[in-house]
Amino acid sequence: MAEQALSAPVPAARKPALNRQPGTFVPRLITGLAILLIWEIVVRAIAPAYVAKPSAVALAIPKVLVDPAFQRALGSTLLAVTEGLTITIIIGTVLGLLMGRSPAFDRVFRVYINGFNAMPMIIVLPLFSLWFGYSSAARIATIIFAAIFAITMNVADGARSVPREYLEVSRSFRSGRLRALTDIILPASMPYLLAGFRLAAGRALIGAVVAEFFLSVGGLGYYILYNSRSYHHNEAFVGVLLLAAFGVGFELLVNWATRRFMPWYRRDERS
Amino acid sequence: MVPFSETLVRLWQLLVSGDFITQFLDSAKLFLAGFVLALIVGMPLGMLLARVRTLRIGVEPYIMILYATPMVALIPFILSMMGFGFAPKLLVVFLFAVFPVLYNTVEGARSIRPELIEVAKSFRSSEWALWREVMLPYTLPYTMTGVRQAIGRALVGMIAAEFFLSATGLGQLIMSASQNFDTGGVFASILIIGLLGIGLTRLGLVIEQHFARWRQ
Repeated sequence: MAEQALSAPVPAARKPALNRQPGTFVPRLITGLAILLIWEIVVRAIAPAYVAKPSAVALAIPKVLVDPAFQRALGSTLLAVTEGLTITIIIGTVLGLLMGRSPAFDRVFRVYINGFNAMPMIIVLPLFSLWFGYSSAARIATIIFAAIFAITMNVADGARSVPREYLEVSRSFRSGRLRALTDIILPASMPYLLAGFRLAAGRALIGAVVAEFFLSVGGLGYYILYNSRSYHHNEAFVGVLLLAAFGVGFELLVNWATRRFMPWYRRDERS
Repeated sequence: MVPFSETLVRLWQLLVSGDFITQFLDSAKLFLAGFVLALIVGMPLGMLLARVRTLRIGVEPYIMILYATPMVALIPFILSMMGFGFAPKLLVVFLFAVFPVLYNTVEGARSIRPELIEVAKSFRSSEWALWREVMLPYTLPYTMTGVRQAIGRALVGMIAAEFFLSATGLGQLIMSASQNFDTGGVFASILIIGLLGIGLTRLGLVIEQHFARWRQ
């Protein structure tokens, strides 16, 4: 089962190096412009006037960014995702360490964690809306549920893969169990934690947006829903752009952190 | 909250009344159609991108961005442009599933050793034979990793489409139970969909491992 957590979406392993390759910028720019141009032409030619097109979206960007309603929505979603991810990391790491280091705990819980991880997380929304009402509490619950299993499974894999010699050496120097945990197991499973965090952050973002759609809780997702329902597609699309930026931002952040703090760690090709 | 026994009773009722079977078939149709479409588009496109270097360099960052974008955010647009039929739902499942397939296929086709292609070329292999005999077998294991990821995503896409576009299939089953405050029914539906998810994920792992055999 280890493959499952490890090989879950791990893109962009070599991306940073790629970006610095000479001669890639021009073709990328040209492709980007071509995509925008085709989009613009197609929408102008066949789609109704309300459909988002690049020129109108570009005009909408400054307007939306200064709109207080948008800023409130953005703040609300970001706060919820941050809160949810913080709770997730704490609980997920503890659970993962327990699973990775205690075979008994692992035997009992592994099958359930695996099972929950395989479930399409959004099916819990109707249930959470019954339990927590149509509130931001239900949104946080959805975010946690969406993200926690990715972290737990990755940390468990990390904690299990600590080389036994490290632990034997630490024991021969009479270090306590707590020291072994904080100074050996936790740092050794850090790359796994980061890989899990990347997965979890993406899922948390999806969880937040879906929860806002479903529960009509104010936030970026609801902003997109509301504006596209009232045929303000250009404004709504700015929200999508921002979400895409967050998705890519998390990726780059984790890649950067891995290279900066764990330069010895190479992600294998299996991904 | 409801006792577990009531969930089981509701589960039994759903199975016996035939509600479950009809809704399940409805969802399965959507899932399979979207998934197959993602494969048909993702695989050849991925190999083409790997073969034509300039195209790949140009398109790669945009695929990466789309891969990282939460696709659910596009559902409201699809709703107001395409309405409530089968096509918009198909598009949602397709969008959820296609990028893992595409991404992993490109990744695989890119890692083909240049010598293999050079050898094929020096034996005067045609472009078609090169694709069939070298590129396809070499990329298949990578594509299957994408397939495994796509199965999970397509399932989420299916439920999201059934929640937010027109309520059909298993999504409707759970929605109507929730609207009637029938917690037992909600639990029963979650149980069914959850087991389905676990089963499909298993299947994905089996497929991936089957093809991983000839991958170094």
